[in-house]
Amino acid sequence: MKQETIMSRTWLDNAFWETPRKELLNAISEEVDGNKTKRQVHKIEKLNADGTPNELFIEAIEFLGEEKINASSQKRLSKKQDEADIEKQKKMEHERAKKLEQLFEYKLETFEIPEIKESKNRLLKSKLRRSKSVPEVNLYAILLVQESLEDVGTK
Amino acid sequence: MSELSKGFVIVASRNINFYTYAINLIQSIKDYYPEALITLVTEERFFDGRETEDTDQIIICGGHYREKLWGMANTPYDITMYVDADMECEHEDIMTIWDEMKDYDMVFHELTKEREQFYAIREFKYNGGYEKYKLCGGVCLYRSGSPLVKEFMDDWYELYCKQYDNRWMPDGFDKEQWAKDLRHFDQTTLWWLVNKVDKYKDLKIGIFEDDIRWNYFTQYGYEGLKSKTGAPPILRHYSGCLQKDTPIV
Repeated sequence: MKQETIMSRTWLDNAFWETPRKELLNAISEEVDGNKTKRQVHKIEKLNADGTPNELFIEAIEFLGEEKINASSQKRLSKKQDEADIEKQKKMEHERAKKLEQLFEYKLETFEIPEIKESKNRLLKSKLRRSKSVPEVNLYAILLVQESLEDVGTK
Repeated sequence: MSELSKGFVIVASRNINFYTYAINLIQSIKDYYPEALITLVTEERFFDGRETEDTDQIIICGGHYREKLWGMANTPYDITMYVDADMECEHEDIMTIWDEMKDYDMVFHELTKEREQFYAIREFKYNGGYEKYKLCGGVCLYRSGSPLVKEFMDDWYELYCKQYDNRWMPDGFDKEQWAKDLRHFDQTTLWWLVNKVDKYKDLKIGIFEDDIRWNYFTQYGYEGLKSKTGAPPILRHYSGCLQKDTPIV
């Protein structure tokens, strides 16, 4: 990971651009002082506040090379994107599971409606149980209640 | 030799909601497996006419907290699939359940590391170290016609009652943890019988093939846990999400 150098300060090769316009570099420097190694995280602007080139920025770019920083930035971006996709997928799975639980409770309540509870129409009751959404449950519930009312009407 | 009888046992006691869950479960099994033999073990006070619609037997039980264990011990079948009442069948593979018996005496769903976050407790202190519950009693396929298995089920119920009533606590457990987490749990009794009782050491205990399909806790879905083969759940378990003490209507 560490680049060989004759300079006293070296830069780790995991530096990356913070912005697409490459005006802000995130990089870690390393300085060895006897037995001690000091690492420092920098967020380095391309220009100083007065618009002049930032010497530290130039040093890091010269040390690492722009291509390496580009590659490292791309790798980091892909990793972040993958993580975000996994997180999004997990959230969706969680929401789906929660929705399923709520739907189950809703179905149980629906099955307790007297006309449905007493219905012998296995097919419609089975369709109600297999319903994937509240509107679908309601649809079969209406059919079952309607059937019950028609039965009353013909008796 | 006559063919072994095979059927499901579902228990609903103490709380009317469990009766409602059980009726739904029974009907859902019949949706996918019309020939299934099902025994409902329940209290007479819950009867509302639906108890006989899809069952081939009704057994009246008491109102104990874990009457399920008594129900399991009193199954009328030679091979029994016990299913917790708060589950629902949602796949035709339910018909393949008897193939899972293989040459085992009992078959369970496994409590694994991946699944442990969804269980009340998996690891517990024992004899200065730690032990783990490995078997989940939410579903259990067992050779109920075998005298040793029948004895096991009787013991599970009787010992659990003693445990629950504070008449039995074996050495080696942490007293505080026992009182807080283990005493009320039928898994504790199951662990003891399987691991510490000599007469049961030769019982062949297995895990369902692709076992997540046979006891898919809805919470597994929170983390997107899937079956090994990618096949959908056969029995979904709603135990963690239902308001069991709140009337359904």
